[in-house]
Amino acid sequence: MIELKNISKEFTHGTEIFTALSDISLKIKKGDFCSVTGPSGAGKSTLLYVIGGLIHPDSGRVIYNGMDIYKLNRRDINQYRSKNLGFMFQQFHLMPYLTVTGNIRLACDGKNIEDKISFYLEKCSLADMRNKYPSELSVGEKQRTAFIRAIISEPEILLADEPTGNLDAANSEILMSLVKDYNKGGGTVLMVSHDPEISGYANRNISLCKGRIQLNKTEPSS
Amino acid sequence: MNLLRLVFEELFYRKVSSLIILLTVIIAGTVSVAIYTLSKASENETRKIMREQGLNLYIFPKGTNLIDFYSIGNTPSFPEEYVDKLAESKTFDAVRHLTGILQVRYSDWTDPNGSSHQIVLLGYKDEAMQRFLPAQETMGFDVEKGKVHVGALIARNIRAGDPFIIKGSDGRSRSFQIEERLEEGKGMIDQGVAFNLGDLQDVLGMQGKINKIEALGCVCKDGRIKNARNQVQAIFSDLEVTELSSIADARENQRLMMNKYGAFIIPFVILSCLLITGLLFYQNVTVRSHEIGLLKAMGKSTYSILFLIIAKAFFLGLAGGIIGFFSGHLVAEYFGKEIFRFTASDIKPLWNVFYYCIILFPVLWVLASWIPALLATRIDAAKTLSQE
Repeated sequence: MIELKNISKEFTHGTEIFTALSDISLKIKKGDFCSVTGPSGAGKSTLLYVIGGLIHPDSGRVIYNGMDIYKLNRRDINQYRSKNLGFMFQQFHLMPYLTVTGNIRLACDGKNIEDKISFYLEKCSLADMRNKYPSELSVGEKQRTAFIRAIISEPEILLADEPTGNLDAANSEILMSLVKDYNKGGGTVLMVSHDPEISGYANRNISLCKGRIQLNKTEPSS
Repeated sequence: MNLLRLVFEELFYRKVSSLIILLTVIIAGTVSVAIYTLSKASENETRKIMREQGLNLYIFPKGTNLIDFYSIGNTPSFPEEYVDKLAESKTFDAVRHLTGILQVRYSDWTDPNGSSHQIVLLGYKDEAMQRFLPAQETMGFDVEKGKVHVGALIARNIRAGDPFIIKGSDGRSRSFQIEERLEEGKGMIDQGVAFNLGDLQDVLGMQGKINKIEALGCVCKDGRIKNARNQVQAIFSDLEVTELSSIADARENQRLMMNKYGAFIIPFVILSCLLITGLLFYQNVTVRSHEIGLLKAMGKSTYSILFLIIAKAFFLGLAGGIIGFFSGHLVAEYFGKEIFRFTASDIKPLWNVFYYCIILFPVLWVLASWIPALLATRIDAAKTLSQE
């Protein structure tokens, strides 16, 4: 479904050049649940954003269903993101002036979306919070709202950058079981995490170090 | 989600910042509208004073003895087409409101009681249109054919409803309907009668003749009066210009001074407010960098991001422009009465300015937000979203 071919990316800080990704080649199949691990500065997030069309690699290609996403025009790459990708972040990034349902609606168009939103709110134990603002939510509730926002438009791929980074163990478990459900439903997940326990939910572990793949291991399905 | 809803949700959420931006538009609107309204009110009052006092420049045939002109009345005349020729001259722009006048002393007018009086007769030609210059409201007397305006002293001798009867040079009496009985204190016209020029020429047997052109020349100290003299003499070397100083001159100077200050204050205030708005929008974009990054990650287009910022500026500009118009009018009304002693009726809402306000202020505030909006579209989504 997604293929990365010889992706390299360097960043410059003053006179210093920092190699984030170095000649990365990778294939991700539909339905994969990949955890991307590695120490700080290994290039995990860069890999995620390169796949997300947000960081243009210096060289190499990202091929999604046969098309090189960095050869798309601006309009098509926006469409690639809105139709095929869902993003989750460590900091949730909820709009502070929108309610829970308002934040979820940001990611979806259409009039008959209410039933779908209600279904997910129920599933994520947020039904009573639908009209609350982010400032009135706990961190776990915030991240579950961000999760619904990421998957409400039924994207093929969920890109998650340290989604449990701010959650306690109980909330991490709730969130990960929701992500796992999404994966079981056919969604592809690419999740960056420091937490080795979180990697246990994935069926494929990719370990990066200094911008290179050190380990790319597929576990038997749990 | 509808982008417009997102604009309003954000606008009401960040109340303080939105209110400050709104306040900048209101201040700019209030100051601009107040100064402009006062200037217009002052201009109207000047026009009113001048209309009552007469115009400030007299153009006579060269060598006219002014003592004779005012006391005896047998001074030289000249063709009334001179007025039209001056008005049509492209090089004649130092003088406005050209009005051809035939003014004579009439020594034997008999009032309805049989008493004989010496009175002044003034025939007014319709104010000449200077079509090469911007149009202005007329200032001269506008007397219809067959009608007269009678001065206060003469009106005392005529009963209300009676016609004004005068014997012509041919010995035949003519009757005119009195359209207006003028109030006292208007100078020479107190003891005079204002006719339509054609009617008076007929009474006096002076068809096609006038002996004075009254006009409004700028009395400012920039040499324009001298310029007016030169321009008249270049066209008609047999005419000369005499200046009449009056209260109207002072009023005109006051108006010009106000316009001068207005020309500085209005742009200064508007530019300052625009600068503050630009900085506030820059701060707004900085605060919202995560939101904007997220919208980009969700596939929202550059135009959508631009719209979020610019629409906010537009709506605040529109609201501020409307409020600024009405508050500006109230300020003009208050200070106009208190400081400049304008009559209340001179200060009215200028609705053409209202239309400018609802167009100009949204456009200006959109322009002020333009650079921050462009910066918003350049926010690096990956960088802002990955920040811990």
